Amino acid sequence: MEHSPEETKITIDGKPVPFEPGDTIIRAAWRQGIEIPHYCWHPGLSVAANCRMCLVHIKSGRQMEMPILKWNAKKKAFLPETKPKLQPACQIEAQAGMEIDTAGPDVANARASVQEFLLLNHPVDCPICDQAGECKLQDYWLDHQTSLKRKRTEPVHKPKGVRFGPTIVYDAERCIMCTRCIRVCEELVGDPVLDMRERGNRNEIVLAPGRQLDHRYTLMTEHVCPVGALTSRDFRFKARVWFLKASPTVCPGCATGCNAHADHDPRYGKVYRLRPRDNPQVNQHWMCDDGMMTYISAHEGRMYGGLIGRGDEREGCSPTESIRQAAARFSAVESSRIAVVLSALRSSEDNFAAVRFAETLGTSKLYVNARPDWVGDDILRSADQNPNRAGVTHAAGREIDRNLNDLMRDVAAKEIEAVLLLGSASTEFAQQLSALGELEAIVNLASNESAFTTVASVVIPTVSWLEDFGTFRNRDGLDQQFRRAVPAPPGVQPAWKAIATLAAEMGRELGFSNIKGLRALLNESTSSVSAQSSDSAAAAGATV
Amino acid sequence: MEPIDDLLDEEEGALELHTDPMRLNMGPSHPAMHGTIRMVLDLEGETVLNVDIQPGYLHRGFEKSCERGTWNQVFPYADRLNYVSPMLNNVGFALAVEKLCELQVPERGQYYRVILGELSRICDHFTCNGATAMELGAFTPFLWILKVRDWIWDILEKESGARLTHSFGRVGGMAHPPTEHFIEDVRGVLVEIRKVTIETETMLLKNRIFLDRTQGTGILPKERAIQYGVTGPVARASGLDYDVRRDDPYLVYDRFDFEVPVGEDGDNWDRFMVRMEEIRQSIRIIEQALEQMPGSGPVSVDDPRFLLPAKNEVYDTIEATISHFKLVMEGVKPPPGQVYSHTEGANGELGFFIVSDGSGTPYRVRVRPPCWYNLQACREMIIGDMVADIIPTFGSVNMIGGECDR
Amino acid sequence: MTEASLKRLEQVCEAEVIKTEVFRGDARAQVSPASWHKVANFLRDDDVLAFDHFIDLTAVDYPERSIDAARFDLVLIVRSTKSKQRILLWTELEEDEIAPTLSTVWAGADWAEREVFDMFGIRFEGHPDLRRILMYDEFEGHPLRKDYPIDRAQPLVPYRNAEDIHKLPPFGIEEGQPFGRVDWSNRLKGQDQQVSPSIALHSGQRRTLSDSDEFTSQTRPAEVTSEE
Repeated sequence: MEHSPEETKITIDGKPVPFEPGDTIIRAAWRQGIEIPHYCWHPGLSVAANCRMCLVHIKSGRQMEMPILKWNAKKKAFLPETKPKLQPACQIEAQAGMEIDTAGPDVANARASVQEFLLLNHPVDCPICDQAGECKLQDYWLDHQTSLKRKRTEPVHKPKGVRFGPTIVYDAERCIMCTRCIRVCEELVGDPVLDMRERGNRNEIVLAPGRQLDHRYTLMTEHVCPVGALTSRDFRFKARVWFLKASPTVCPGCATGCNAHADHDPRYGKVYRLRPRDNPQVNQHWMCDDGMMTYISAHEGRMYGGLIGRGDEREGCSPTESIRQAAARFSAVESSRIAVVLSALRSSEDNFAAVRFAETLGTSKLYVNARPDWVGDDILRSADQNPNRAGVTHAAGREIDRNLNDLMRDVAAKEIEAVLLLGSASTEFAQQLSALGELEAIVNLASNESAFTTVASVVIPTVSWLEDFGTFRNRDGLDQQFRRAVPAPPGVQPAWKAIATLAAEMGRELGFSNIKGLRALLNESTSSVSAQSSDSAAAAGATV
Repeated sequence: MEPIDDLLDEEEGALELHTDPMRLNMGPSHPAMHGTIRMVLDLEGETVLNVDIQPGYLHRGFEKSCERGTWNQVFPYADRLNYVSPMLNNVGFALAVEKLCELQVPERGQYYRVILGELSRICDHFTCNGATAMELGAFTPFLWILKVRDWIWDILEKESGARLTHSFGRVGGMAHPPTEHFIEDVRGVLVEIRKVTIETETMLLKNRIFLDRTQGTGILPKERAIQYGVTGPVARASGLDYDVRRDDPYLVYDRFDFEVPVGEDGDNWDRFMVRMEEIRQSIRIIEQALEQMPGSGPVSVDDPRFLLPAKNEVYDTIEATISHFKLVMEGVKPPPGQVYSHTEGANGELGFFIVSDGSGTPYRVRVRPPCWYNLQACREMIIGDMVADIIPTFGSVNMIGGECDR
Repeated sequence: MTEASLKRLEQVCEAEVIKTEVFRGDARAQVSPASWHKVANFLRDDDVLAFDHFIDLTAVDYPERSIDAARFDLVLIVRSTKSKQRILLWTELEEDEIAPTLSTVWAGADWAEREVFDMFGIRFEGHPDLRRILMYDEFEGHPLRKDYPIDRAQPLVPYRNAEDIHKLPPFGIEEGQPFGRVDWSNRLKGQDQQVSPSIALHSGQRRTLSDSDEFTSQTRPAEVTSEE
């Protein structure tokens, strides 16, 4: 920047605020964590300036005065007066030396009036509205209005519970017409499926004729909605937001690794939704629909205990017993004939433990289980459906190109007598994997039921990604850590720990006892061969 | 038969019995140790050489519990501090939060608070004096006095819905305005209370046993009272002329004409008499307050950030629904800061040191319990006296376990 | 009047007094822990001020205060029977810092300091009898510290564990909680980074949308706590 520091500052309520060229007032304030109240502005979207909540008084420069008539209670008459003309902070570009007043009586009055106007026809829905608790109408009413509206007539009624598509329901009465959802469809997705109809208090959001809201980012319309007008059909009526706590996590849906909040209820240990977590390096403010729904996989077909045997002879057992059984079966075969299947869906830590396990056994038979490619796009979605393919390479210290097909070929060639399967495989593989059913020692470390658990002779239960600390390395080589959101079922261990216990049962030592030791080992043993740029990996520490 | 104590009167042949020091446990479960206090006494004969007073048996984590709710959820806990005069605690806590929020309760609400608070004070002083007398064997005055407590509780029940733990205060006012016949009810009770005051004194003040056991026992000198932070009737009995209502007037106390009784000796008798006189002064205050109280108007501030909206509006308008929602889910949000606010509780200066971080949950609520410091000074009163003197001394200090141990 | 006593204190103890202010009518003065005893003595003995009446002594725990501020606030409130003024004196103490006792200055500080020791674990040098006062000797930890979990129970007599007693524990951690409450025990372990919106607003941390991640990493270094 050519400007000297003094020149690139504006003053908001007497406080100097730096800005970057091209910033609007509201963006410059937002960068500094100062909130100027707003509904329609969103840092990731274009400026609409239609809610009028961010009106501020710009005291520097040419002053614009508006003639008004003001009620004088003493003289009992309307008397002419002037008041400063306010300007929307979301639209006015910051100029060096600008003096802005966001707290004066004129601004406060304008905000209260805007707020009263927005609530004129609002239904008394808070008790049945999913937005209650995180609703801007509620927050701003208390902060900026705090009075009852003067209107006493019946509010205008508009359509409620309109199904916009498979994921979104629209309530026109709650809508304040900020057009954020329209802009998301247009600007983020490039599929202008939503638009506005009518005007004044009959105004409502509608679908394009013959269309449904069915692109890949529909839930983002709900995410940007500042009120309860758009609600997600998945989250509707499931939980009240003030009971939920957020835990930082990373979406396991694809190689992008979007940052997310896992909103969970600590009373029940259940995750109710994912919500995008702003990260300018990865996903800015957004996530795709499939990513938002990945939380379901953590609860579906959950393994709460170990399993021994196959088919009708299968019996449940405790997690420790399953590890003992696995150790017994592995010990019965020659250790170099044990294959270890890594998983591009599990954390680097789990994979590293499996790699160490293979090393101590002296087997070089490493394979990778990965999901097949899906449809990517140039917004967020990667074609690679696996959150941690790069992490597997990192953990193994080299590229592993042998996949499940190679495993089946080697099994058929009788080179393999036992297999350690990490994680889950989708049911499409069931047919293909059936040959594994002939081997005695197929051990699967799984959090959920899958094709692997069907074919395995011993299943060791492990925690899911929402129940553990771990790292995913995304497509850009960024190591992103995620945290435990909900507690694991009793006795169920993380996969890396189960592998360490398994090794100990077999009389072998993996060299770490806790996750810190594991991480130190992981970074030390692979730093020299890491294909990723060390810069991005270093920067990654700060991204969680 | 010649009198057996003849010997004792003779100077020369004074009976000197040799005694070994003895250690005696009094409490925590002792009929006179109300509120479960343990005293470990070192005795020489009947004389107390040393005492270790051990509170804490009624500790319920008041201050920690306050850190988990909203500001208004503290009121039920405040009730259970000094449970003999809960209304004073309610008002004291409300005033502390209002000081931090810079809120001024409407005048009618202030008078309402004064009247309810002074009724509670009468109730507290009577209970203390009655219990002291009862522990000295005078059961009748205690029952006599309980009549008054019942009458006052009837009024408080009518106003707040609860006899003992009212939870009636709110940040910014009171939960409900006065009931229709509030003023007449209080006037009627005051007449009766006056009678009972006279009757109580008639019963006790000429009783030789009562005089002997209270006069000259449990003496606390003025200097020690000041050093120990003793306040309230105990301090005034010792000659410390200090009453928060007069010296740092809060609510509308500066508009009343009342006197602060002060004792001279600081013994149990003085403490008893100061409390009897304060009852009379409280009656005076209530009468003036009833006179001055505005007949109509709100008792609470009209600000949706503090007071819940009317129910019919909550059901009908979105604004009131939002207000209700925010107050219940997030609570009142005082600005960040630390504030110490003090009022005259029944036992002395009841202080609330509150810390807010700007959220709806108190960051810290420290209550300065008057009993705590009064009880600490109790050590000075007991040492040198007889074991039997502990009973009236402990009674007249009026230790309330809920307030002392919190 | 309140300003007058602060001015007097500032004049005489210029080197000791760090800061004075009047907040909501309370005269407040901050001193360093080293001059705690000296200033207290001066407050009592000075002819003009003569703060002889002990009112209260307590502490506040701020485990998350910025790096240049210490963990605890130790607060003293005293009053003058002569001028009827009062003053709030406070000092900031590090976690293991030992404060000089005031029980030699005002007798009433004896129990108050014992309580502060019991509740916060702050030690007082020269105190004649620094025992626990509200809690029992077997009690572990100091309950009013923010990192002491509110639902932790340490019963001297163990709770009954019969299968036919279907009674919930006294408090669940989330029972009846307001929306904006901080879960201190998890927050200090770095596992709960939620800040109630209003705190964030006041500390200038509130962002417009979903609580931004930059904010989380600013307040606490991103560190993963392992379970063992």
